[in-house]
Amino acid sequence: MSQPEEDLQQQLNSPKKRAAAFSSLVRSYQERLYWHIRKMVLSHEDANDVLQNTFMKAWNGLDGFRGDSQVSTWLYRIATNETLTFLANKRMRNVSSIDDVDEGLLSVLRADNYFNGNEIQLKLQQAILTLPEKQRLVFNMKYFDDITYEQMENVLGTSVGALKASYHHAVKKIEKYFAEEE
Amino acid sequence: METNNKISLDKIGKELPFAVPENYFEQFASRIDEQIGYKSSPKKKILRPWMYMAAAVFTGIAVLTPVFYTTSNQRTAIQTTENYESYVLSQVDETVLLDCYVNDAPAK
Repeated sequence: MSQPEEDLQQQLNSPKKRAAAFSSLVRSYQERLYWHIRKMVLSHEDANDVLQNTFMKAWNGLDGFRGDSQVSTWLYRIATNETLTFLANKRMRNVSSIDDVDEGLLSVLRADNYFNGNEIQLKLQQAILTLPEKQRLVFNMKYFDDITYEQMENVLGTSVGALKASYHHAVKKIEKYFAEEE
Repeated sequence: METNNKISLDKIGKELPFAVPENYFEQFASRIDEQIGYKSSPKKKILRPWMYMAAAVFTGIAVLTPVFYTTSNQRTAIQTTENYESYVLSQVDETVLLDCYVNDAPAK
């Protein structure tokens, strides 16, 4: 464990320094986690809610964080779980089929004031929405953020081999989607 | 076919087509601070050594000027009184002085 990481964990475990350390943790990780979530839920409002839940879960679970993993891995795990829970709840609330949820996400994206992409970027989002959720996660983390498979393994708890295969299949499906669209 | 498709993905690029409201992240962090009950202590104003020195010099001048001025005036006044007495004494001779003391002495 690096020295800054060790110092941070000590501060998070100290009752007097905990709030200040957590506040700086939020400032360090909020953007990365926001985009991680936003790519999955698509709308800004939903991403904002999930991000808030993520940090409050982390704050309330600080006592359970023993430093077995890096702080960033721990936060990414919470954010991923919160995102998947959010999407599952949305599905439960809405619907009769998975397609409805994905179509719903897409319509939210089209209407979102904070979507500033062009037609082709919208098409890529459409293509990504055709992937199963876990595959979407893998594709987003690799394609947009270039996160290593080893880091992904720590966050998602899936082996490097399975992650590579998942990404490979995701790319193929997206390419196929584009080919059919042409 | 596959090559064309790959080019398509490359053409799209990796830039995300999303935006966030202005100052979103600053406001978000402040909101979390509130929720966890954290108040950052106000930043202490950083004063440089020369500022302390300048302040000390000004204070010194402000305090010492009236004291110096008063002392100086008192000294002038004393000097003036002493000069006057010397002058008067120099203008009269001993006889006149004795007459003065004798005449002023109360009658027994």
